[in-house]
Amino acid sequence: MRVFQMQRISAIALVVFLTIHMIVVHYPPFHIDFDQIIIRMADPLWKAIDIVFLFFVLMHALAGAWVVLTDVQRFSRLKRAFAGAAIVIGLIAFYYGTKTIIAFQPPV
Amino acid sequence: MGNNSTHPTAIVRIQRFNPETDAKPHMQEFEVELKPGTTVLDALHEIKTHQDGSLTFRRSCRHAICGSCAMHVNGKNELVCNAPLKERLDRHGRITIRPLPYLPILKDLVVDRSSFWEQYLRVKPWLTPPEDAPEKEFRMSPEEVAALNNAETCIMCGACYSSCQIVGLTKEYIGPHALLKAFLRVMDPRDSIPGERLADLDGTDGVYRCRTIFNCIDACPKNLNPTLAIETLRKLAQKREAFEQARIERQKHLDEPIPAR
Amino acid sequence: MYTSSGFISFALRRLTGVALVVYLFMHLWVIGSVNAGPEAFDARLAFVQQPLFKLLEVALLAAVVYHAIDGIRIIVVHYTGITEYRKSMFYAVLAVSTLLVIAGGVPIIRFMLEGK
Repeated sequence: MRVFQMQRISAIALVVFLTIHMIVVHYPPFHIDFDQIIIRMADPLWKAIDIVFLFFVLMHALAGAWVVLTDVQRFSRLKRAFAGAAIVIGLIAFYYGTKTIIAFQPPV
Repeated sequence: MGNNSTHPTAIVRIQRFNPETDAKPHMQEFEVELKPGTTVLDALHEIKTHQDGSLTFRRSCRHAICGSCAMHVNGKNELVCNAPLKERLDRHGRITIRPLPYLPILKDLVVDRSSFWEQYLRVKPWLTPPEDAPEKEFRMSPEEVAALNNAETCIMCGACYSSCQIVGLTKEYIGPHALLKAFLRVMDPRDSIPGERLADLDGTDGVYRCRTIFNCIDACPKNLNPTLAIETLRKLAQKREAFEQARIERQKHLDEPIPAR
Repeated sequence: MYTSSGFISFALRRLTGVALVVYLFMHLWVIGSVNAGPEAFDARLAFVQQPLFKLLEVALLAAVVYHAIDGIRIIVVHYTGITEYRKSMFYAVLAVSTLLVIAGGVPIIRFMLEGK
């Protein structure tokens, strides 16, 4: 799949997920602490939504960073190296983020 | 010329650069008479003839058709032969002329356009007719001509190419001028290799390098729309095989009269 | 340099995009502290809920909102082929973004000042 298509698909997904995320998590603003998050995160559906959200965010962010870098001519010969680095960073961040989402258990 | 004239004058600021003596470009001001009907190119000629013969710029036809005299006037790319001097003056009666941006300057207002032509050749800008071409004229329907969106009127002046920030970042990008030409050939029912063309453009240097900045539309002196051409090529690249098949079908009827509607 | 509304939108999109990538990894790091237990989580969250960070949050909101709305504009251009209203569309993006940032930013500032 082309980076362009990855950006388009993840962008459309993010518009939906980010709207949900902003309204549910951050609006209206409040002092965030563990107890408040745990109530919502106890629902497995929210965990699933957040994991999918994380996937698209990482895809969009890393593909976007790759595009910004490879648009500069002197970096273009490194585009394979950048792509490899983006995949590695993406996998590590996805593993860490998923672990974090799952760690929100009521009796920690 | 000069002081006893009754004509008002205009101040022409020109970016000068002589590679033999200058380390970097600098601005120089000239004063020219503002006669009725003076174009920006006329002002440059006036300066070169009467004030400074070393001023270097490209021009040829003076009728906005050769594409030689595209320059960066007051922050916009345009053909100076087609630009009325009076309308380009700011409230201090000044005009600023620079060479086309994002390209290496050779001297004064002349830029090195090698990358422009190299990228142009990359898209195979010529028409490739079918091998068993009939010995008759080919016929295109009015709809097929309309779909070209006047792309055939491009004069290759380089105004769009050098207005593009992505060209400024990387000369590996094919560029709006060549993509517009590729669009023209792909949409042309007489062309027999649209699939091959779309495959060539379907890369990070091609249609996917465009960031939809729209500068090419603003810059084009012929009111063409390279951005829309690129967006169209992007969509066609997704359904390349179906498009190629439709072209093969279409070319079976190239020499037949277009049915009346 | 060739300035135009298209270039400004492009530059802002790039700038906010890079800022958001940096933020994303900071965000992962802060939220990731839950792996070390609720105390560590609350401690790290308390650090990023100081007044300075509230102001940064408004900037973050502006970056997210602009990047999203401008992205929607690009998607609309791609699927509809509208290019003649390119300048108006950019100004519309700025107007909608400003409204959304005010709508979201005022509660954040009020929360910062009143603490509730």
